[in-house]
Amino acid sequence: MKRAATVPGRVLWHAFFWTYERASWQYDVMVIAILAFVWLVPPGWLGDPVAHGSGPIGWLIALLRR
Amino acid sequence: MTFTGLIGWICMFPLRAIIRTCVRLQIHPNVLTFVGVLINFAAATALALGRFVTAGVIMVIANIFDFIDGKVAVELGAVSKFGGFWDSVIDRFSDIALFIGLIYLYSELRRTDYVMVASLAMMFAIMTSYTRARAESLIRKCKVGFMERPERIVLFMIGAFTNRMAAVLWVILVLSVFTVADRIILTYRELRTAGREAVA
Repeated sequence: MKRAATVPGRVLWHAFFWTYERASWQYDVMVIAILAFVWLVPPGWLGDPVAHGSGPIGWLIALLRR
Repeated sequence: MTFTGLIGWICMFPLRAIIRTCVRLQIHPNVLTFVGVLINFAAATALALGRFVTAGVIMVIANIFDFIDGKVAVELGAVSKFGGFWDSVIDRFSDIALFIGLIYLYSELRRTDYVMVASLAMMFAIMTSYTRARAESLIRKCKVGFMERPERIVLFMIGAFTNRMAAVLWVILVLSVFTVADRIILTYRELRTAGREAVA
């Protein structure tokens, strides 16, 4: 017998098995998540060979450490 | 209207003017496609030299050509099977050129780790289009997965303009792996269903 998937499980599955159209609200959420990752994660965490600065998260951490 | 829908709608204003100009000048869509790849080679060179903002500007220009060729073909009544084939082939050259630019840059910087990330991202970007092309010779449609060419190109531009190329490469790599997996899963499911129906 098949077990019903939990809500987080379904969300994860749909994020992985992507069937949504462009310009849908799900697409918007994915785009915002990607942009957050690209712009907020400090380049040092990824060992970026060319990026300068620590990014907004790095700036926030430095501010909190003061 | 969604956020991404609004951005697309705004971008269409200048693009419509460019399409109208190309139609008025009777420029053949295959020529536009070819000019697009040549400009993308220039963008790849700028990436290889680490001039990201210049590369971003050149990519914007190249992808205007890339975007309008199909629309101009429709407006001119020049839609052809060869045009579709030519466009797909040239798009792969453009894709690969940008990745090679980054691979060159990272190898110059002696960063083997990012040479590998960029190479794997390139491999899965190519496999994204290959799996769809091959799947659609077996099943009706195989349009699943997030990371298709337009998303990749926009991410490249974002990475270039904001100097966050490493993060962009990771996103392209991970989501391209998912996209290829999605296409394999869908094709397997569709063929299995078709096989069962044929037996029944």
